Amino acid sequence: MAFGRPLLRRSYQEDAAILPTWFQKGSLVFFLVTLTLAVLGNGFFEWLPIRLFGNTWLGLIVLTTIFGIAALGLNILVGVTGQVSLGHAFFMGTGAYTAVMLGGNVGKEESWKACVPFHDNLGLLESQGECGLGLPIWIWLPMSGVVAALIGIIVSPAAVKVRGLYLAIVTLGLVFIGLHLGRMLPEWAGDFESGRKWPKLDIRLWKEETPLIEISEDGKWFGLIHLTEVQKEFFLIFAILLVMLWFAKNLVRSRTGRALQAIRDRDVAAEVMGVPEFKYKRTGFAISSFYAGIAGALFGAFTGRVSPIQFGLLLSVDFIAILLIGGAGTIAGTMLGTLFVELLPEVVESFTDWLAGQLDSGGPIGLMANFLLTEGGEGDFGPISIATVAPGWPMSVFFWNLVIFGVLIVVFLIFEPLGLFGVWLKVRNYWKGWPFSY
Amino acid sequence: MTAVAERPASSNAGSGYPTVASRARDWAMSAPTQLAMREKHLGIWHEHLWGDTWTTILEAAHGLIALGVDVGDRVSIHAEDRTEWVIMDLATVAVRGITVGMYPTNPAAEVEYTLNDCGAKVHLVEDQEQADKVIELPASTFPTVEKIIYVEPRGIRRSEDPRLLFWDDFLTLGREHRAANANAVEQRMAEAEESDVMTLVYTSGTTGPPKGAMLTNKNANFGIDVIIQTPERMAGGKLPGPQDTALTYLPLCHIAERVFSTWALVGNGVVLNFAESIESVNANLREIQPTLFFAVPRIWEKLLAGITIRGAASSPIKKGFMGMFMKLAGWIGRSRVQNNGNWTPLTRVAYAIGWVFMFRAIREKLGMNRVRWAGTGAAPIAPEVLEFFMGIGLNVYELYGMTENTAVATANLHGRVKVGTVGEPYPAIKDGIRIDAETGEIQTKHDANFIGYWGKPDKTAETFTEDGWLKTGDVGEWVDDTHIKVVDRIKHIIITAGGKNISPSEIENTLKTSPFINEAMVIGDRRKYLTALIAIEADVVGNWALSQNMPFTTYRDLSEKEEVIALISKEVEKTNEKFARVEGIKKFRLIPKELDHEDGELTATQKLKRSSVEEAFTDLVEDMYR
Repeated sequence: MAFGRPLLRRSYQEDAAILPTWFQKGSLVFFLVTLTLAVLGNGFFEWLPIRLFGNTWLGLIVLTTIFGIAALGLNILVGVTGQVSLGHAFFMGTGAYTAVMLGGNVGKEESWKACVPFHDNLGLLESQGECGLGLPIWIWLPMSGVVAALIGIIVSPAAVKVRGLYLAIVTLGLVFIGLHLGRMLPEWAGDFESGRKWPKLDIRLWKEETPLIEISEDGKWFGLIHLTEVQKEFFLIFAILLVMLWFAKNLVRSRTGRALQAIRDRDVAAEVMGVPEFKYKRTGFAISSFYAGIAGALFGAFTGRVSPIQFGLLLSVDFIAILLIGGAGTIAGTMLGTLFVELLPEVVESFTDWLAGQLDSGGPIGLMANFLLTEGGEGDFGPISIATVAPGWPMSVFFWNLVIFGVLIVVFLIFEPLGLFGVWLKVRNYWKGWPFSY
Repeated sequence: MTAVAERPASSNAGSGYPTVASRARDWAMSAPTQLAMREKHLGIWHEHLWGDTWTTILEAAHGLIALGVDVGDRVSIHAEDRTEWVIMDLATVAVRGITVGMYPTNPAAEVEYTLNDCGAKVHLVEDQEQADKVIELPASTFPTVEKIIYVEPRGIRRSEDPRLLFWDDFLTLGREHRAANANAVEQRMAEAEESDVMTLVYTSGTTGPPKGAMLTNKNANFGIDVIIQTPERMAGGKLPGPQDTALTYLPLCHIAERVFSTWALVGNGVVLNFAESIESVNANLREIQPTLFFAVPRIWEKLLAGITIRGAASSPIKKGFMGMFMKLAGWIGRSRVQNNGNWTPLTRVAYAIGWVFMFRAIREKLGMNRVRWAGTGAAPIAPEVLEFFMGIGLNVYELYGMTENTAVATANLHGRVKVGTVGEPYPAIKDGIRIDAETGEIQTKHDANFIGYWGKPDKTAETFTEDGWLKTGDVGEWVDDTHIKVVDRIKHIIITAGGKNISPSEIENTLKTSPFINEAMVIGDRRKYLTALIAIEADVVGNWALSQNMPFTTYRDLSEKEEVIALISKEVEKTNEKFARVEGIKKFRLIPKELDHEDGELTATQKLKRSSVEEAFTDLVEDMYR
């Protein structure tokens, strides 16, 4: 009966539904099916205008998915609880190194001894080794989240003491502590510059030779369908993202979520109303770090080799950019921001490549390419350099991307504090109100 | 979609004369899991199935017997529309009592009058507000009232008045009585007779104190059979049924809402949805998206004004589209009016285009996306308003009837609509309506004619002609020998000093199509020329004043502004252009206060009490003839 009466709520379940109408449910299913098909078969989708889902792009999409998980976590802390944190990279690193220490060095005996800090001084191990227990993924993946969450809980009292800018500085300190530890403990982190190898995503019951579900090799899955490694990794990580999304969405509309939002809006007022400030700031930090830890572990495992340097300040800033551009405090905005920030550089780069290919062709496109690009020759002008990667004018694509993000953050902060999600809201409300304005 | 049961067969002979209560029982027996009513509570629409509803009705009926309600005893109900209203109404009829409904806006004095006039034994009140109107007066003021049942306990619980009884306790009482006397209610129902008075409907009383019209089971049955079950009323001849939903928001004590809600529910199983309050009707309409919708002209006018105002306040692009499609709607509406409400191929195409861009959105916002039958009645409506709603694709039909004939008189039937008329006599009462040749008065004679006013035989006698026809008090004329056009109330007809007969309501309704005008009253009986008292629509004029950067404080201040007077003056001129010279309004004054039921200027149904208004603003009136 409710069909065709989208506003008729007959129970609180209906009222609180994430996807209240059949149209929305259908849209989600359609999106998932299309995405699956697109990832599965390049053959089916040759007619797509861009090779978005070819294997060249799929790796990037998997990375985007992983960053999406981390961004969800930061959104819970910054967007929902309102605690500014620049330490997200540190928590990601915590998760990543928990993963490698629990799951790394598959098959090597004795490597546990390297896990004890300063083991040389204790005389545990003669030669330098790398710490790793070789445990299966169902242990190291959740544990990387849990360990990060514990560290988050340890850090959280700082958020009760200091607010705003000062909290940002405190969490910034975490990043440098992390970098320092990475340099100090090569048995844990590997070489500071070149890093160390991470465990694969294969799912094992224990330490057996053939994994229960093979992820790290191309091949048939369950004897049904032939998939490449990246495709398999995509499905696994995307499934994890969906679970995390579902949890985040439910968290925000739960009692805990409302408490977190109360603290965001005014922590003193929340405390007065009976929302324990410390308890919920701690919860916010714990959940946020849990997400970061999981994302860090997946990041390491997917990339295969990571160095401590990668969990630096720039990564933290990336996440802030995602939140600001996407729209802090909203789940959908976080996803939009991740897609935008992670894929835009690639789009700009592909566009430049394509433009460079058109340099010698005639017509308006060739003219535009000539106008925009420069190869550095005499009399060749244009803002984008395709000959050099160094800073300076004309700038290379890499630096142009940095400029674009800087400008975008400023623009969004001033004109659309709700980010891309705010833009979407405006568009939606425009049509929702049609033909009226309110 | 669950299967819905057809209308159950009328009860067999052994179980008494069919009443609204027995019809409800038939539904509960044949389709206990079918939806009967929805009620919004704390943001959620709670659903009541037929089986549970009937159980509650039975318990309430047993409760009434336990309280000593005997055949013919009066049970009064003073509440906003809510499930308990319907339940108490049906329970009362089940025990052969008489339901007396009261307007929620009735002030204490009217409550006192009504309660004592009907001699109610049990009085159902909604909440503290209504309870106070009775318990704050000494008990001896209401000699007949034995129990006051209250539904919402907030603020009443601690009162020690022995007459008070909480609704839940009342049902418990009924449950206990039922356990001890299982068939007491069924027995009463089996004894029901067609001449039993089932309800007193108090007329709103534009003149003199309200009178309680006695309607019998026979009247109700005939009303249901003729009004609800005339398939010609609906597009495709499809009768209302359980798949239909309606929003119940007009006072249930009024005959129109009773017919289209309670009787449609028990007659055809139409699902009732109770609006939270009259203020939330718009939001509730959007949620419920009813398929059947009845409204008084005032509501239709407000809906139209809402569209115009919100449209004017939207962004330039939207405004442009709006203007374009409103013109299209106007054209479609005019074409449909000319074609008796029917579509032509051209209007269908135009409508399809308009539907995509505009009409669907507007109808969704009005809550009328699924309306298949919409009615207007209880007061005259301006044709322009109907034209617009027909233009956006609604099937709106004007109906006519009155309390005294159980609202059974005329209706515009599907495909035979004549805008400006109140339609043709229902097929079942073809010969039951006549227009008196001498006075032009519309008169009816059929099984739904009431049997008289409660305790007022003299008034009753005045209402009937010598040969038994009911005098409606309305002047009418035949249009094309099939349709009837109501000119005005006989008492309202103005005879100017020049001897010209003028119907003021036509002029007033045209005035009221302006979004700035809330109420208008044309004056001129035995005067040289016509004048008008006009009440402005405070919200709209207020917004207009804001947009003109014109500061104002109160309603009075607003209506005394020269700019506002100039604004209304333009609206009056626009109206004058549509009428003959003698019917033109020469002067007008703005009423400096908002008209109100409690001050006696409006009836409970928001109709103007002309004599009181004229009396209250004599100086304004005389000023216009100086």
